[in-house]
Amino acid sequence: MLTRIGLASVRSPVTSSLIKPALVRGLKTIPQPPGFVVGTVNEAYVHPKPNKMHGSLHWTLERGVALGLVPLAAAPLFTGVSTVVDSTLSAFLLYHCYVGFQSCIIDYIPSRVYGSYHNYAMYLLTFGTGVAGYGIYQLEQKEGGVTTLVSKIWHA
Amino acid sequence: MPISLFARTAPRVGAIRSIATVKSTSESEIEILNAQRSNRPVSPHLTIYQPQLTMLLSGLHRITGVAMAGGFYALTVAFAATSILSIPFDGATLVSAFAGLPIYAKIGAKAAAAFPFAFHFANGIRHLIWDFGKELTIKGVYRTGYTVLTISAIAGTYLTFF
Repeated sequence: MLTRIGLASVRSPVTSSLIKPALVRGLKTIPQPPGFVVGTVNEAYVHPKPNKMHGSLHWTLERGVALGLVPLAAAPLFTGVSTVVDSTLSAFLLYHCYVGFQSCIIDYIPSRVYGSYHNYAMYLLTFGTGVAGYGIYQLEQKEGGVTTLVSKIWHA
Repeated sequence: MPISLFARTAPRVGAIRSIATVKSTSESEIEILNAQRSNRPVSPHLTIYQPQLTMLLSGLHRITGVAMAGGFYALTVAFAATSILSIPFDGATLVSAFAGLPIYAKIGAKAAAAFPFAFHFANGIRHLIWDFGKELTIKGVYRTGYTVLTISAIAGTYLTFF
């Protein structure tokens, strides 16, 4: 962006190191090989271990949940919903958020660069999702569900 | 111009190119390869591309999704944590806190929730249409893109004010 508006010279190493958050600078990242090529040209490709939950099954599950969310998220806009519908919506939404955050971690905290920090981020997300799941249970118990509370706040 | 023409066509007298050969091992070849690889240009980053509807809506979809997911986690984790740690906190607190806000802050907060919701909802349906293999042409991508923008503008405004 700076280059586009003719301010490329502003981006000196000093300013970029000041702008970069201290936390990111403090993290030890893995130095990448020249040209980002791993090994030599003669080395055979080592594919990741096959995992049933990766690939098409996971993809289909994600889309199934997203497809289910369309009517579930639209219904409370038109009418009040029962606890069953609200719980289903909340559970679907929690999973949708969980896989969305996972995708973000895979993209922005890759294990190729950040090593075990990638795993820590995933553990933290899984833990947070568990806590959020308990929070949904509490919301259903005390407030009559997420949509009821949001609706009350919206019309306050 | 005449000089360079002359230089190109004139026979080069006495120019003898000597080619030296060097014995190399596979390790030294890899060293040369790595040194050469580190000189290769890196793939350009986002800022060199002209912003277009395709990339903007894609980025906006993730940003709105992450923001709303963050809000959802904040709300649910707040209820879980206050319940586990027995901190007095309930929905009525949130409702009265929101009710106490001035009108422009209320409308601002509602708009900040309504527009991302409307956009992510509409664009999510667009993604699902793509997942069924439909509208996967440049024309289709733009047509659905502008439809999504129109719908989210109308639905976002409606949700904010009504």
